[in-house]
Amino acid sequence: MNPSSLKSRFATRFLRALTQIHARKPICPSSPTEIFRRYRRIKAAADKSMAYSVRSRRTWTGAVLWKLRSRSCGRRSVKTSTLVKSQQAIEKKTRHEKQNKNTTTTTGGHGVGFGVEATASELRELVPGGEAMDYCNLLDETAHYIKCLTTQVKVMKKIADFYSL
Amino acid sequence: MQPCSREMQAMNPLLNPAQQLPLQDLQSTAHQQIQNPHFDPTASHDDFLEQMLSPLSSCSWSDLKSPWDPPKSDETGPPNVGFHYDEVLASKLRQHQINGGDGGGVSSPATAAIKMMAQQQMMLPGRGVAGMPLSLGSSGAAGSHHQNDIIYGSSFKSPNQQGGEGSMQSLYNGFSDGSLPGTNQTQHFQHPQAPNFGATAGTVMNQSQASGSMTPAQPKQRVRARRGQATDPHSIAERLRRERIAERMKALQELVPNANKTDKASMLDEIIDYVKFLQLQVKVLSMSRLGGAAAVAPLVAEMPSEGGGDCANGGGSIHRNSNGNQTSADNDSVTVTEHQVAKLMEEDVGSAMQYLQGKGLCLMPISLATAISTATCHSRNPNKGGGSHPLLQSNGEGPSSPSMSVLSVQSATRGNGGLDGSVKDAASVSKP
Repeated sequence: MNPSSLKSRFATRFLRALTQIHARKPICPSSPTEIFRRYRRIKAAADKSMAYSVRSRRTWTGAVLWKLRSRSCGRRSVKTSTLVKSQQAIEKKTRHEKQNKNTTTTTGGHGVGFGVEATASELRELVPGGEAMDYCNLLDETAHYIKCLTTQVKVMKKIADFYSL
Repeated sequence: MQPCSREMQAMNPLLNPAQQLPLQDLQSTAHQQIQNPHFDPTASHDDFLEQMLSPLSSCSWSDLKSPWDPPKSDETGPPNVGFHYDEVLASKLRQHQINGGDGGGVSSPATAAIKMMAQQQMMLPGRGVAGMPLSLGSSGAAGSHHQNDIIYGSSFKSPNQQGGEGSMQSLYNGFSDGSLPGTNQTQHFQHPQAPNFGATAGTVMNQSQASGSMTPAQPKQRVRARRGQATDPHSIAERLRRERIAERMKALQELVPNANKTDKASMLDEIIDYVKFLQLQVKVLSMSRLGGAAAVAPLVAEMPSEGGGDCANGGGSIHRNSNGNQTSADNDSVTVTEHQVAKLMEEDVGSAMQYLQGKGLCLMPISLATAISTATCHSRNPNKGGGSHPLLQSNGEGPSSPSMSVLSVQSATRGNGGLDGSVKDAASVSKP
């Protein structure tokens, strides 16, 4: 196995994070709250390690990390208002950008039908950071995102299988 | 660009280095163009014209402008740097002329001049023509060892003799003005095109005076495009964009399984579903790897809309999935939530799902809920690794991993609710 491939980088980072998470002993381990919290933490660790393992900086990795950081900061810090405000500002800006991009693409994109542009909005919601990109880059990001997601799923499945035995 | 014409006049065979770069560019592009030999030994001069002009028309400005690198080789002509320009044209002529019939190939001075004009116009946009013929004529006569060059020079001199510089300028301008619409439209010049050129050449002198002033600027912007496609820069950009999108879609098709390759819209839907599916898998896997406590209780919070529809049809019940609020004994809040969800379900199941998810709840068939509640009763006192086993036993199956078990649960909710039938789904899902 290639030691510097995406798969191995992600696997090492994720396993490290997993051991950290499992190392913390909660008060009541089987309560639903705790389970849910752990699930969130594991998923966050998976996304974060995926975003860090990517060699080439992509838009979606930045968006994922930003979301995770803002979420964790929102939980811990008391002053959530400023963060929320900045988040709203950024959302407004991205929405405005998306409107602009949509208008430009629709005026210039008569080759690509209107139906395609409408479903592109759904894709934008799925791919993190996809709101403020033009259609061409969005497809590029989607391809990279799918590749990374498949790697993530494969590694996590292997780990799950390993731990279940 | 204006000093260039004066310079061209000043220096004759030896081009100064400042000029050589674009000419090197020309040479390299000419080499590139020559790579597609297109000559027909038995053609008449009309065909000669077509043949010479067809590769010219088939390449666009981008091809011409891009290779800004020093010339790759000098194999087609003398190593003397000063003869770059006429090498270019000479090699073009050589490729397209009749073998051995050099004299017969260039039949008339007018057509040869027109060919020269076409080449000039392609390669040196916007340059003053006045300087060109002089240098060419002199370099041609200066003893180049190609027959073509001599013929070139001689044929070129004759229009020069006709009316001097003014007529050359007008000839060039008129030809460029007359030829461009014709060349823009066709890629391969058929026979019907030749009379067009003859006609345009004939009307060149008439048109030249009117459009003489404008044309030096226009050739810069014109692009030789392929057959049936416009030369408008907007449409070119549009075409490039469409090509880029098409290749990205192709790359995506390879990543996504079940690539229909039929319709772009359906392909997009496929991609979207696949991304959703992968994200769901990540969620499920991260839930299943909690190493101990049952993966049962915090069940899948998000479900696809069709799964939600099936759940609704199956008489869904709301299974509380705690979100940190441990007070699960609020019946009032539960009923309120239920009413809210029922209202939302009538209009859109997806929004109902999202509403539930926001509350930390999920929807599932009643049969499944009963199965899970029995499982959770067992798993209240778990041992470390055995949390998932009661669920396996209650299912009645024996999937080999927690991921399989959770996936079977989830796919059961998606499907008809029958747990036995979901094994195959789970198998297909987790082991593609």
